[in-house]
Amino acid sequence: MRKIHLMNEASRDATIVIDTVKAESGPTMGLPGKKINFRRYLAATDTGLHEALVAAHGETYAQALIDGDPEIDVEQVGKFLTDTTPVFLSASGEVLHVSPHLVDVIFGPDGGERERKEASNIPGNVNDETPVRWTGRKLPRGQAITRFSFRRTIAVKHVDGLTYDFLYAMAKSLAEEDAMVMLGGGSKGKEPLIFQENGTPYRGFLEGRVDGPRYKLLLHLSNLELRVPDGAAS
Amino acid sequence: MAKPIIVNWKGVQSSFKITKLDRSKLYGKRQRQVLDPGGDRCERAELTRDGALLIRTGMTAQGYFDGEGTWVPNGDLVGLDKAGEPVPKVASTLGAEEPLHGPVDPTEVLDLSIRSVYILDPEGLDPDLQKRLLGGDVFRFAFNYRADYNAETAFLVGNKSGFFALVGTPAPADWCELETVAQETFDDDDDDDELDFEMF
Repeated sequence: MRKIHLMNEASRDATIVIDTVKAESGPTMGLPGKKINFRRYLAATDTGLHEALVAAHGETYAQALIDGDPEIDVEQVGKFLTDTTPVFLSASGEVLHVSPHLVDVIFGPDGGERERKEASNIPGNVNDETPVRWTGRKLPRGQAITRFSFRRTIAVKHVDGLTYDFLYAMAKSLAEEDAMVMLGGGSKGKEPLIFQENGTPYRGFLEGRVDGPRYKLLLHLSNLELRVPDGAAS
Repeated sequence: MAKPIIVNWKGVQSSFKITKLDRSKLYGKRQRQVLDPGGDRCERAELTRDGALLIRTGMTAQGYFDGEGTWVPNGDLVGLDKAGEPVPKVASTLGAEEPLHGPVDPTEVLDLSIRSVYILDPEGLDPDLQKRLLGGDVFRFAFNYRADYNAETAFLVGNKSGFFALVGTPAPADWCELETVAQETFDDDDDDDELDFEMF
């Protein structure tokens, strides 16, 4: 289980565990009473790819495929693929034997390139020395669900009696207010939450529910507003 | 183009054209590119363990095979439940009228594991429903993009920007109790958390 260093409204902090809330898996595809496996296999070799076929038979090579099956290397095609190593090929198609150069390219909503810079690793910030804290921004639950799409939900859980009291109180106060509070990371508590190095940054909204002595303290994560993009019909 | 979502609220039908809400259309995207020493983009490929075969994009396929290694056509497959019993196929809900349920409690929406969000373009919207949606009410309806074995749940929401369908599977979290203390383990069950270079 992963951990989060969380500070409450009264600036008390604790490190507790978090657990992704997952939907139950639905039906799987198969054959009744028969065991089958999903496998990856080789469907073509280099000589069966489009570029190679164009070079060998011209742009309209359909008839050549029908006549002679040139795209099928019977020695190779159909082999199951299991253990492979990722490699990079240079622009000339050679396997790269040196470390590649990584750049981060930012594209605007119109698809145009906006910025290009050296790639840098962005560390996670939820289990840092600096706790994730409550921002002053609270939203009624009913408003939050019409403004954001929550892509993931994380359950925040106690690890002992003290942290039970800590989290229960948080859940109770949020439930009574019928509000969700936005959490922020970093020294100023304003940064989006990043759960692992280079992970997706999310805005996190904490929601609480109580039922007698039981509680749910849920961190709903969003990186998408419910908003129609400029120029889209609606 | 996909068929519309058609819903019925108190006997009045409303219809919406649908478009998937794409995050990159709102915010753009960040992409990590791999360049070779000449500054040109690299192609990602794979090498088999024995080094004998270089596998490039377009050279692989995947499918179901039985114990003897015989390919099983997709058309032969059916949906199976946890006990291995066949489940009925669910028809697509697009173009078919679905009743709206609600207004629902916001916690119901918060318990949805969202898979897709669609922008809804009203073709014929009941004024009463429109008023309810813009007032913050949310309604539930059955959704299935294409006929398959996995029916989903959708919520119809509205705001100043437009109307949306949040589609996914209900995933309510368990209650936490004092006696049930979360155990710290060394197993990281969140290993499937994707490495994503698309940032804000």
